[in-house]
Amino acid sequence: MTKLNQSLFILLMVISMISCKDNHNEYHNLIDKIEAQSINFQKDSVFSNNQFEISELVKIIDNQPAFYIKNRKNKIESYACSECHDRPLDELQTENLGKRAHWNIKLIHADSKTMSCLSCHNENNLDNLHSITGESIDFNFSYQLCNQCHNKEVKDWKGGAHGKNLSGWKTSRVSKLCIECHNPHKPSIEKRWPDRFNTQMVDERK
Amino acid sequence: MSKERKKWFSLNLRNKEQNSCGCSDSKCSDPSNKKEDGISQVFDVNMDRRQAFKKLTAGLVIGAGAVSSSCSVVSDEKSKEKSQIEWEEYFKGNYKLMSDEEKRKTVNRLVRSYELRNGKKINISSKDAENDVLFGYAFNISKCQGYMDCVNACVEENNQDRASQMQYIRIHEMEDGKGLNFGESDDTYYHEVPAAGHFYMGTQCFHCDNPPCVEVCPVQATWKEKDGIVVIDYDWCIGCRYCMAACPYDGRRFNWTTPEIPENEVNKDQHYLGNRLRKKGVMEKCTFCIQRSRQGKNPACVEACPTGSRIFGNLLDPKSEIRWILENKKVFRLKEDLGTEPKFWYFMD
Repeated sequence: MTKLNQSLFILLMVISMISCKDNHNEYHNLIDKIEAQSINFQKDSVFSNNQFEISELVKIIDNQPAFYIKNRKNKIESYACSECHDRPLDELQTENLGKRAHWNIKLIHADSKTMSCLSCHNENNLDNLHSITGESIDFNFSYQLCNQCHNKEVKDWKGGAHGKNLSGWKTSRVSKLCIECHNPHKPSIEKRWPDRFNTQMVDERK
Repeated sequence: MSKERKKWFSLNLRNKEQNSCGCSDSKCSDPSNKKEDGISQVFDVNMDRRQAFKKLTAGLVIGAGAVSSSCSVVSDEKSKEKSQIEWEEYFKGNYKLMSDEEKRKTVNRLVRSYELRNGKKINISSKDAENDVLFGYAFNISKCQGYMDCVNACVEENNQDRASQMQYIRIHEMEDGKGLNFGESDDTYYHEVPAAGHFYMGTQCFHCDNPPCVEVCPVQATWKEKDGIVVIDYDWCIGCRYCMAACPYDGRRFNWTTPEIPENEVNKDQHYLGNRLRKKGVMEKCTFCIQRSRQGKNPACVEACPTGSRIFGNLLDPKSEIRWILENKKVFRLKEDLGTEPKFWYFMD
């Protein structure tokens, strides 16, 4: 009887071993396959992208692998700010210059306890932004400013789970900067109508 | 590859013992015998009387037309060329079995055929999969706002039939707190989005690693490419729709009528296995925009999405965004317990 049991056990073992490999591929599941096949993956790290000129881009190096954003600073209208802001703000305000610039900006971003213009802009040096601790932040790296509160989103953005990839899957990544989608003065995204209404599908679902 | 099950089209029935190249040892030295294709695939097959009659009638219908116009002295050069192309296209083999030369020839025929009919040049690619590439896709259900920009981009990119409003992508509007309830979700909504208390979830072909649609195809007109894209040879498909029934994700679409696209809207950058113009009675579906992705671009839906909910990449590249998501976000796939292994993951913020 024990011999029969033993041989049955061996038989079952053999069957289970075969059935594991039976799935006409050598991996148990997709994740195993991906992990096994990517061990020897080689990607050339040279920037190769024919959509963008490297001179238009800024490299984000505080992430591995490094990626790129489009140069933002040279797109800002009438930068450098100091060309107009050559005197302190309160001096400019008393001069009665009228509606020259920025008059239409309303800050609808968090509440007044959290945010004011000067939470991000430095009144002593308007050419750069500044953090809560007073450290200077370049306009090109404004995500560092967002990172003070929205650090989870920025982490996802650096990893590639949040935001928009502008290059293809194959070459070095070029991403949109936070403020290219979210207006920093009014970050919430408005509702709109869908691009498409499929009347055929409506008929089919009746 | 020798492990793969026997293909229905191995026609060398006289030699039961085959080696890896599919022919008997003595014949292997002769390169002309290496591949059975085209006319030999159709003709060099043992068949019974009934099958033979069927093939003959089908062949005769097209043959009669071709012969009558090609031998006629009255018809012009163009219509002769047309029927020559028709003849050769009718007797070509399965794309999967074609040599590079045969792929090039059929692509040239299709380009020429379109030029003869419409007077315009199109570009059809037959680019193969690259090594070390396995395509994967991730979809962020917290970010999708239901704008359906992806659907429009897909329809335009992939030359889908406008009359029947075919669309590969469906965006399901789901109510918060009811889980993933496809029965109660709405994929035909038309109101301002995002609607309060709802979230949006897109479905399309998931390019399963273990695709049930490929298993059931009786003529092997659909298969998984080396880079993981599940493709269809529209010229080999017989339109039985077994694959449509086998797909647990509603990923496949059928052309009930001849697809019609306004001439000025036809996307002329095409791929044989992708967005080239289809005919009546064949299946089609998302191909991860094979004509774009094999050139290093992102699929049209990924590029069109204004919210960044769609992420595409190479699963074998450990530094890719798709891999970062798989390793750092809480991901899930639809009907994972079926063992179909979709290469399409959902995740949340």
